[in-house]
Amino acid sequence: MKYYILTFLFVIGLFSCSKEIDEIEVLPYAPTSLDETAGTWKTFVLTGPDEIVINKPVPVTDAAYLSELDSIKNTVIPNLSGDQKALIRYWGAGSVLRWNEIARELSARYNIPPASNAEGLYPVPDAANPLADPKFPFANPPYTARALAYLSVAQYDALVSAWHYKYQFNRKAPFQVDTSIKPLLPPSDLPAYPSEDAVVAQASYVVLLAMFPGEEPFLRSKLEECMQVPVWAGMTVSSDIDAGKKIGAGVAAKVMARAKADGMGSSNNQSLTAGMIDHARSLGMVNPWISQESPARPPMLPNYGAVKTWNFDRIRLESIRPPMPYLEGSPEFKKDMDELKNIQKNQSRKQAAIANYWADGPGSFTPPGHWHRYAASAGVDSEFNEIRMARLFAYVGTALMDAGIACWDTKYFYYSPRPQQFGLKTSVGLPNFPSYTSGHSTFSFAAATVLSAFFPEKETIFLEYAGEASDSRVFGLIHYRIDCTMGANHGKVIGDYAVERAREDGAD
Amino acid sequence: MKIYIVLVCLTFLLSLKSLAQMPHDAIYMNKNLTCAAIVYGNSSWTDYWENSLKRENQNIGKLTSESMTAMISYGITKKFNFIAVVPYVKTHASEGNLLGQEGFQDVSFWLKVKPFSYKGLAGHITMGVSIPMTDYVPDFMPLSIGYGSTVLTSRAILSYNHPSHFYVNGSFAYHLRGNVEVDRDAYLNGDDLTYSNEVPVPDAIETSFRLGYLKKDNQLELFAENFSCTSGDAIRRNDMPYLTNDMKMTQVGVYGKYQPKNIGVNAKLAYVVDGLNAGQATTFSVGLLYLFNLSILN
Repeated sequence: MKYYILTFLFVIGLFSCSKEIDEIEVLPYAPTSLDETAGTWKTFVLTGPDEIVINKPVPVTDAAYLSELDSIKNTVIPNLSGDQKALIRYWGAGSVLRWNEIARELSARYNIPPASNAEGLYPVPDAANPLADPKFPFANPPYTARALAYLSVAQYDALVSAWHYKYQFNRKAPFQVDTSIKPLLPPSDLPAYPSEDAVVAQASYVVLLAMFPGEEPFLRSKLEECMQVPVWAGMTVSSDIDAGKKIGAGVAAKVMARAKADGMGSSNNQSLTAGMIDHARSLGMVNPWISQESPARPPMLPNYGAVKTWNFDRIRLESIRPPMPYLEGSPEFKKDMDELKNIQKNQSRKQAAIANYWADGPGSFTPPGHWHRYAASAGVDSEFNEIRMARLFAYVGTALMDAGIACWDTKYFYYSPRPQQFGLKTSVGLPNFPSYTSGHSTFSFAAATVLSAFFPEKETIFLEYAGEASDSRVFGLIHYRIDCTMGANHGKVIGDYAVERAREDGAD
Repeated sequence: MKIYIVLVCLTFLLSLKSLAQMPHDAIYMNKNLTCAAIVYGNSSWTDYWENSLKRENQNIGKLTSESMTAMISYGITKKFNFIAVVPYVKTHASEGNLLGQEGFQDVSFWLKVKPFSYKGLAGHITMGVSIPMTDYVPDFMPLSIGYGSTVLTSRAILSYNHPSHFYVNGSFAYHLRGNVEVDRDAYLNGDDLTYSNEVPVPDAIETSFRLGYLKKDNQLELFAENFSCTSGDAIRRNDMPYLTNDMKMTQVGVYGKYQPKNIGVNAKLAYVVDGLNAGQATTFSVGLLYLFNLSILN
């Protein structure tokens, strides 16, 4: 009897400690370069690196500075707790990286379509009441693309300004002023004033709070952590932090001024759809898109295509819009349809896996988040410094937002039906907006094109990923082949505009 | 949804048990006696608990999971039995456009022993392992056919048989559920975005109480069961369920078996009366049983 009970308990014990999930941990690293001239790089929104003015710092021999130094050396560092050291390890991997991850996590948490109410209507999320049901925002792919773009642009512009002042004032880091201070993060010769971490923290906080207004307590806690860590680690003093905050806040205000005027406010203008449908019919679309949800859900952000782009203008946007998709009844349409019918019948496990891997649907950080993740990994692999990382995200991010805008413009220009309007099912879930062109294809090829320009040695792999992301929508049965091939071509062109801009910003 | 999957699993367990002898009943095959069974199961729900909110979903309609389960029980001795179970599952949503899934689900093997008996009172231990037979997609919920998790189950049963043929028994089981590999490389667990393709499936505790009448091989039983995960997150508002969810449900049902000769039939009906992150399923099953002697071990 005893034996049975022991066996019983043993088997329970054997497996109960195995729930831990191993995630790839990014550890603090010493960047391969400092990019001393980055203060001259071209910005996206700022007119110049000194548009936000900060005071000249006091010299490191000043009594006020020495008092800050003394506090770090004798009070802060000797009394660090285990939690503080864990935070140093976390944030030490890079503030730009961590804030990008935070934004991705928020996007995933907010990426759930509103439920219909008792009247069969879908209440629109309300920015003034963000935690009510439905929560604001619904962080769908266009929303997330935009949130990540503004975050990255604000970080990048603010860091260009920070670098400008760092090398103008050349104030050393505490561990260089007093060599008895042993820094807890990899040391570098980067001047400490203003603190790049504070710049990034403050700019990121402002942008993300605007994008996720219900997350003030969460974002504030991250802001405080991110600003305290470099002091705890002996990398900066608090006056470096204060100057960084000022730049971050000033740049974020300018960037958010652009955001407020970029047309997002009218992106959900549902009154435009009747005219869009008429237009699609005039082009020969016999069965324009209709919502396949029950009750019918208004299409996602029908006027997002009118939002202001980053790397090309409206005239260019219209000139690169993909041509008409195949019309119902044509042999080409039938061929695409036959491919889908065949997959529905004989979907291989490999096809399902690709469709699932790239589904990036509700509860995920969406395809733009997926590509920011790839950008982050590539930047970490190349041991990018903070400003290189921000620049990478800024070009990938603006290309993704441009891709979203141009793709949404195309979708509502043609208003084409989904395969489900002809009886197909889906193994990944059906997005609630017109079919042509594929958002995944456009996003992915735009991002892969930018990433390939930044990391030419990885071009093959990025294009392979983009190809899979594109195919995944056919394998998941929600796009015709033509949606994906034309979306892919469109994405490449959009990515090229970001690359062209990057080539002229003075960084390479 | 995940709900559904657990229901499917439960359905199997239930239908199994409902066979001539199951991992969680108090019945044994005599030495060398073998029971082969084939059971059709059908579990469906329209309402489900999204976290604690009871709702329906017009884009799913009625979610049905049908199963065909083959089972074999073998008496190694009259106090030590072996059971193997193989289910084939097929899912379908009556509304919306989510593609139904089907395939062989999880094969399970069980050993059941009676460590003590005194008059009508007996204690039993069953140990089982359930392993996915195929590489089905575990997280296309609620259409997935299973959890994709390897599960180790330990169950203790205390039974009392009265000479009048009435019996009662209570059982406690712990399901150790292994992590699952999914096709995606990031997923939400609560508020945390986890960057991994490995998903923790919460362990679960199952308790049951049964009251019945058993004479020869004929049986009628009422039962109540509770299945509760020991941890996990909740389905977010208007989101789909996921492998990580803390699923709980209480189910009541009736089971009967009629076995005049070596061929018999059984049937079961069960209904979920309360739940969390679970479908309010109605489950029924009918099975064909065949008893025969097999002397493979001597």
